[in-house]
Amino acid sequence: MITMRRAIPAVLACLAATQALAHGPTRQKLELSVEVAAPPEKIWAVIGNFHDLAWVPAVAKVEGPGGNDPDSAKRTVTLKSGGTWHDEELSDYDAQKFTYGTFLPHVDVKVLPVADFSTHLAVTAEPGGKSKVEWRSAFYRGFPNNDPPPNLNEAAAVKAVTALCQPALDGLKARFGSGH
Amino acid sequence: MKGRFWQACALALALHGGAHAAEAFVTDQDGDAVTVIDLATQKTVATIPVGGKPAGIAMARDGRRAYVTSPSAQMVSVIDAPARRVIGQFPAPGGPLGIAVHPSGAPLYVADWYSDQVSVIDPVTGHVLGRIAVGQSPSGLAVTPDGHLLVVADRLSNAISLVDTASLHEVARVDVGAHPFGLAIDGAGRRAYTANVESNTVSAVDLAERRLVGTVNVGKRPYVVALDGAHGFVTNELASTVTVFDLATLAKLATIKVGDYPEGMQASPDGRSVYVANWDSNTLTIIDSATLGVVGTLDAGSSPRAFGTFVRK
Repeated sequence: MITMRRAIPAVLACLAATQALAHGPTRQKLELSVEVAAPPEKIWAVIGNFHDLAWVPAVAKVEGPGGNDPDSAKRTVTLKSGGTWHDEELSDYDAQKFTYGTFLPHVDVKVLPVADFSTHLAVTAEPGGKSKVEWRSAFYRGFPNNDPPPNLNEAAAVKAVTALCQPALDGLKARFGSGH
Repeated sequence: MKGRFWQACALALALHGGAHAAEAFVTDQDGDAVTVIDLATQKTVATIPVGGKPAGIAMARDGRRAYVTSPSAQMVSVIDAPARRVIGQFPAPGGPLGIAVHPSGAPLYVADWYSDQVSVIDPVTGHVLGRIAVGQSPSGLAVTPDGHLLVVADRLSNAISLVDTASLHEVARVDVGAHPFGLAIDGAGRRAYTANVESNTVSAVDLAERRLVGTVNVGKRPYVVALDGAHGFVTNELASTVTVFDLATLAKLATIKVGDYPEGMQASPDGRSVYVANWDSNTLTIIDSATLGVVGTLDAGSSPRAFGTFVRK
């Protein structure tokens, strides 16, 4: 049934040259959210700047031009673990709706084992002066070809993105209190 | 000759088989299924399990069969569309995503994202009848209405391959924008339009002259092109929009907000509506092609893709 799946070494060697441009077969979707005991405006004041990821525990530093203008903004993100990615784009930004989107065309899989990584961050009002903060991500696994090694498969990609985003959401909840 | 025969058949079917309304067969990636939506009542009427994270789809012109690629399982599923069930599954090499079916009903063409080839497959037996060498990372496929030409978007070659369906050889390659992914051919078989993911453009190619005749600047990360006769539509994945342009002048006419991560898109058989599968929002947006406004948003499974021809007459 799946006898054709095993790529021969020569094919792998050829593909290595284009590896940075290709990606795995199926895009993954990860949706994380948290309820925070504060209105959207207060939360947006903390998270609504593309060049400020002080609220994300894994991040050490953010640099880049363009402010919050989707036509020109880019950021270089340095993690506390030492890894860095460059040229992450702001794909859309709407301060009225408390949402922005990002897109990272290329990242070293040793830093984050994903490809074509995009996110949407959104804050929506909930009853009682609370908010829901949602961080949705879309990405391919780090290994672009068939038969990925365990550290570059879909599960590894989901785990890595969760490890980046979930503590940041948990941190917001802790910062503003859960409202109980 | 052959084309005329099938045109007659299609007409006969249209006259005698018109008991059902148009339906959308939406590949449902994370539900491992195909969601069938009745486009008249706007209700989901069936969920057909297929497995393997289904993505690409090719609807036979007569509406009797739908062929679905599952990139994560490297297989093609054959769906009896009126019966709404899988009647066969067979392996497709490498990374099968793009798929097309010849207007006569056979063969199938399945792009292998990893090997720079398109497999030619018998839809009944699943046998691979041939392999066509094309450019790098073949993605979207389409066949001209007369069945003579298969057009392949070669994503990493920044080009389209024109393949003669009789000889199964590439007869021309035409450079387009950066990383063409989805493509569509007009009803006359005159032009192909590609959505170029990296350059945020649509390229228009004259198929007889084998040359690029125009470029349209669209939104971020354009993925798929659909045509209604007068307009071109392109899904912009990262902008959550559809850009509309005039097919005659290539002038941009409108930008329509749809769901998040819009992917597959196709016009209704009468050209009055355009259906957009929103991968992230799990919805199908309906656009009125006269007013260019959104007239409906329907639930559509979990991570709908519908990459290919998914509307059944």
